[in-house]
Amino acid sequence: MPQRTPGAVKIDVCVGCGGVGKTTVAAALALQVARSGKRTLVLTIDPAHRLADALGMAELGSEPEPIPRAVLTRLGVPAHGSLSALMLDMKRTFDDLVERFAESADARDRILGNPIYQHVSDALAGSVEYSAMEKVYELATSLDFEHIVVDTPPSQHALDFLEAPQRLLEFLDSRLVHVLIHPAFAAGRFGFRLFHRGTQRVLHMIERLSGMGFLEDVSEFLLSIEGMAEGFRTRAESVRRLLLGPDASFLLVTTPELESARQALEFLDRLEAFRVPLDTVVANRVRTWPGRGEVPAEGIERGTLQGLRDALAAQEGPDFPAEQAARAAAEAAEGYAALVRRDARALHALQIRSVEAGRDWVTIPELPGDVRDLEGLDRIGRCLVARSAGEETVAG
Amino acid sequence: MPASPAPPLSSLLERRLVIVTGKGGTGKTTVCAALALAAAQRGLRVLVAEVARSAQVPHLLDPNPPDVGYEAREVLPGIRAMRIDPFSALAEYIGLQLGLRNLVERFLRSAAFRQLMDASPGWRELITLGKIWHLERMRDGDRPRHDLIVVDAPATGHGVSFLEVPRVVLSAVRGGPLRHHTEAVEALLEDSARTTLLPVARAEELPARETAQLVDAVRARLSIPIDRVVVNAVHPAPFPPHLADLDERLARLPQGLPLGALPEPATLAACARYLRARHELNRGYVVQIARSTGLPLVCLPYLRDGLRGRADVEALGRKLLEEPRAAA
Repeated sequence: MPQRTPGAVKIDVCVGCGGVGKTTVAAALALQVARSGKRTLVLTIDPAHRLADALGMAELGSEPEPIPRAVLTRLGVPAHGSLSALMLDMKRTFDDLVERFAESADARDRILGNPIYQHVSDALAGSVEYSAMEKVYELATSLDFEHIVVDTPPSQHALDFLEAPQRLLEFLDSRLVHVLIHPAFAAGRFGFRLFHRGTQRVLHMIERLSGMGFLEDVSEFLLSIEGMAEGFRTRAESVRRLLLGPDASFLLVTTPELESARQALEFLDRLEAFRVPLDTVVANRVRTWPGRGEVPAEGIERGTLQGLRDALAAQEGPDFPAEQAARAAAEAAEGYAALVRRDARALHALQIRSVEAGRDWVTIPELPGDVRDLEGLDRIGRCLVARSAGEETVAG
Repeated sequence: MPASPAPPLSSLLERRLVIVTGKGGTGKTTVCAALALAAAQRGLRVLVAEVARSAQVPHLLDPNPPDVGYEAREVLPGIRAMRIDPFSALAEYIGLQLGLRNLVERFLRSAAFRQLMDASPGWRELITLGKIWHLERMRDGDRPRHDLIVVDAPATGHGVSFLEVPRVVLSAVRGGPLRHHTEAVEALLEDSARTTLLPVARAEELPARETAQLVDAVRARLSIPIDRVVVNAVHPAPFPPHLADLDERLARLPQGLPLGALPEPATLAACARYLRARHELNRGYVVQIARSTGLPLVCLPYLRDGLRGRADVEALGRKLLEEPRAAA
């Protein structure tokens, strides 16, 4: 385990595909951290009011909103601890980047007004993910909080928030962009020989397909964002260092749904390739066996239903269809046991890999209903606490 | 020709193009496979076009499917499958447009072009939709090569962005063949005689809300026809109506009562409670989806054992073709 920087802000990043309960896990974790007496922030992208409701707040804003003291006391957060929440406005984030890194007010207005920008800003691969991490960096360096829990946007590609800036920078550095930005230079006699004929052919091809005007818009857009590149590069590097450094740790959240378990394995590959400090894998909404011992391996041995039938008949009276009820109850137990076995099978490969790599494996049982209140958050938090308790033992 | 009259076609099969959409994990791919199988069994020639990194549908139809790539291949009699890879589609398109296939291949492999493409949004969606348009136009003699094209649309995090790309392109590109072709793609997407969008939802909080948002966005920003919603994986009622509260009765039995080979009462009660609660939760969200979208629903049952083979896919296909129930 890497040495933490004393006094530095601790960051937990929850990653995983959409719909696995990342937001809920992030909120539950933040609540537990606050209970341990830390000034805590949870940053979410969940646009639902659900989390705000659960935290006892009317609405979350794009600046950290402290949760009222009375609520915190009820949640068992001590006086020196606090919990704030912030909801990232996805639409605003890329505009914020432009505001920050544009060379001048004039350049900023040119970028924001460019028709190409208006279309690419929300579609540009990974820009939302990256912008979220920007915000984390800003908050981490403000030192207003001791611990920040981040809920990342659901993404198809595990590490868009780390990779996207690099992709964008490579693109801005590419020969093609230079040609688009400096057509006069490229066309000039001196420069002409310098750039590859292939590039020019690509441009001709695009021009032939798209007609006049389109390339001019693209060129103007690239010219206007070129000035941002340096600031963007420096900041992207800082964000990267923070997230891959000793004070950050990642939690991979998944569910036993086949699709999300499969994607979690892919995430794991990517996270490992990037040497992301992944401490914990959380299996959320797992159906666990409510009885003593392990789930019955192969269907429940029904034997005779007589004991159950008699017990039901004795309790419910002579008009109750005890025989039918006993059969239905046995079938339900069998059906549920099948679900428990199915979940265990779906998670098996992920669990083996996580445990072998020395990561914490946390199972959060599925509740019959939705998690929509503090009680639900508390229950999930307690499952996660086992993890932090283990950590302290190791440190001590 | 079979002697018995063919069963009447479902209204879902009257279209040429069914674009199946939904978040990852909703069972979109299963719905595609079930629809293709049901249509083929009614005598239609079906093409399944997947927009994913690897083709999944063939695996649901055949335990040992052929390798399916950009070229469509027969998976079962009447069902062909392909995977639309954007780079292949782009090479085909540019080759067709400029007639320079060899040169084009070289460009597509060049680092400059790859970089441009990696950083450029939208073109994957556009070229994919362009390929679908092209597939729809294919003819064998005087009849279409495919009676039905089922598109497994990408599990996008941004709702309708896949389908919105033609509009965006039309607003940014002012002329030339690209604009002309994009207009043709848009016309196909918006033609209710040929096209329908089939959203796949699940009766849970987030997917239910996202489905409502998807339908709203399609109505507000696009003109793509949409006439029903598939709600997948709905837990059936675990008990007959007169035993609906069986879990509560089981919970009242004396604790620790030995029941022979059966688990003790508390365990039986917990299992029953889970199945009942899931059913009730699903039912609530089915009603909510019907209300929020105003669309008729087709509900598919939750399969406790997962998909065990083609027979399960077939059973889902039969359900899928039933006429949808009007909003509650």
